[in-house]
Amino acid sequence: MENVWVLASVWVGLALIATLVAIWFKISTALSEIVVGTVAQLIIGAFFVHGELGAKSPWVTFLAGTGAIVLTFLAGAELDPQIFRMKWKEATVVGLVGFFGPFLGCTAIAHFVLHWTVRSSWLAGVALSTTSVAVVYAVMLELGFNVTDFGKAVLAACFINDLGTVIALGLIFSPFTIKTLIFVGTSVIVFAILPFLTPRFFKLYGGRVSELEAKYLLFLLFAMGGLAVWSGSEAVLPAYIIGMVLAGTVGKDHVLIRRLRTLTFGLLTPFYFIRAGSFVSIPVLVAAPLIFVTLFFAKMLSKIIPLFPTVKTFKYQREEGLYFTLMMSTGLTFGTISALFGLNHGVIDQAQYSHLVATVIGSAVIPTMIANAWFMPRHLLVSKKGKDAALAQPVHSSQVEVGV
Amino acid sequence: MTGKRHNPHFRKLLVGYDGSTESEKAVEVALSLAECVDASVLVFAVARPPEPSTSVELEAVLDDAKEHFEEGFKKIREKAKEHEIGLQTATAVGHPAEQIIHRAEADGIDLIILGRRGRSMISRMMLGSVSERTLRYAHCPVMVVH
Repeated sequence: MENVWVLASVWVGLALIATLVAIWFKISTALSEIVVGTVAQLIIGAFFVHGELGAKSPWVTFLAGTGAIVLTFLAGAELDPQIFRMKWKEATVVGLVGFFGPFLGCTAIAHFVLHWTVRSSWLAGVALSTTSVAVVYAVMLELGFNVTDFGKAVLAACFINDLGTVIALGLIFSPFTIKTLIFVGTSVIVFAILPFLTPRFFKLYGGRVSELEAKYLLFLLFAMGGLAVWSGSEAVLPAYIIGMVLAGTVGKDHVLIRRLRTLTFGLLTPFYFIRAGSFVSIPVLVAAPLIFVTLFFAKMLSKIIPLFPTVKTFKYQREEGLYFTLMMSTGLTFGTISALFGLNHGVIDQAQYSHLVATVIGSAVIPTMIANAWFMPRHLLVSKKGKDAALAQPVHSSQVEVGV
Repeated sequence: MTGKRHNPHFRKLLVGYDGSTESEKAVEVALSLAECVDASVLVFAVARPPEPSTSVELEAVLDDAKEHFEEGFKKIREKAKEHEIGLQTATAVGHPAEQIIHRAEADGIDLIILGRRGRSMISRMMLGSVSERTLRYAHCPVMVVH
C-alpha cells in the first residue's frame, strides 16, 4: 500500500477495533492490540497475494518505536522513589533474584532443550525475565497490601526486576566498543543532572499552551535513544531510567502525565502493539505448540524456585504465595519490546519471535484466567489460609482512594 | 423524624454504583428504603482494572474511574442531603463482586442493593455476573433491582 493516508486509516481502524474489543471484554488494550494485529495480518496474508499491513514502512516503524519509548518512560515514572528509598535492600535482592531466575533459567531451557542458538537463547531469557508491575499493583490494591511493608517492598522489587530486563536488553546484544563507553558515560551524567535540571526548567518556562514539557521530554528520549542505538544498544534502556530518575518530579505532575498518556494511547502505542502482533505467525504456533508449553513452564518454574527462599530470608512468610503467583506474570510491554528487538536485529527468526510473544501473552493471561475460573472472593481465600493481613485493616486505603 | 420507622434488620445499606442507569435505579431504591426505615447508606463503586493489567494503562483507568465515580457521588450526596439520609461513598479497586462482599462484611452491612445489568451471554461468561456472585457469597440479604 503506497497511499500513506489509506494505510494510516487501516492502522487506526484496527486500533479502534482493538479498543472496542478491550472495552467489551474488559481486557487490556495492549493485549487486544497485539491480538488484532496478529489476526489482521493473518487475514490480509490469506486473502491477498503478498498482502501485508505495511508494518515495515518507515513511518509506522517510527510511530511504533516512539510508542515503545514513551510507554517505557511512563512505566519508569510510575516508580515511587520514597518507597524505593525505604525498601531498597529487600527490593534490590528480590528484584535481582526475580530477574536472574527466569533470565538464566529460560536461556538454559531455550538453548539446551529447544536447541536455539546462544544469542537467541539469551534473547528468550531477557524477554521472559520481566515481571508485570501492573498486575502486582492491581492485586495489591484489591487486597489492600499496597500499604503494607511487604507490598511496598515487592512493588519496588518489580521495578528492579524490569530494570534488569531493560539493562540486559540494552547491553547484552551490543558490541562492547568505545561507543558503548561513551553511551554509558553520557547516560550517567544525564541521569544525574536531570532530577535537578528538569523541575527548575519547567518552573521557568513550563505551564504554557505550547507544551514545552512534552517537547523537552521527547527531545531527551529521542536524543538518548539515538545515542543508545548509535552505540548498538536499545532506545528503551535510557527511556526507562529517565522515567525512574524523573519519577519524583515529572512523575508527580499528574496533568503532564495525563497529557503524555493521551498522546501515547491515542496515537503511539496502537502502532507499537499492532505492529508487534502483526509479526506473530499463527501457523507457526499451531505447528509446534510444545515450544510454547516448554517456554511457559520454564518461565514459571525459574521464577518461583529462586524467589521462594529469597522472600523467606526477609521473613515475609505470610503473603509470599500470593506474590510469587503475581511475579510470574510477564509484562506485555517489556516482553514484546525484547522480542521485537530480537526480530529487528536478526537475533531471532519469525518463528522464535512468534513463540516468545505467545509465551509473553500466555504468562500474562493464563494466571489471570485461572484466578477467574476458580473465582472465590479472594479475601475469603486469604483469611481461610490464615493470611488475614488484608482483613486486619479496618478499611483499605484502596477502598477510599483509587490509585493510591 | 416524621415518616421514618426504625428497623432493627436494615440499619446499614450498601448500594453498588457504576454510573449506569441500572445502578442509578438501585441508588434510588436504596435512598427511598433508607428514608423509610431510617438506615444509613454506603454508595460503593468498584474500578475494575483491565486484565491482564499493564503498566501506565492501569493508572490511567484508575484515574478516570475516580473522576467518573466522584461526579456521580456528588449528585447522590445532594439527593441524600435533601432527604436527610446518612450517606457515605467509597471506591475500591478489583472485581466488583469480591469488593462488595468484602466491604459489606467489614462494615457490618445489613442489606446489599444492586442494579441488574443486562449483559450478553459472552460478557457474562467472560466477566461473570456481579449480582449472581454477590448473592452466592454475601453474608447478608441481597436485593437486585430490575
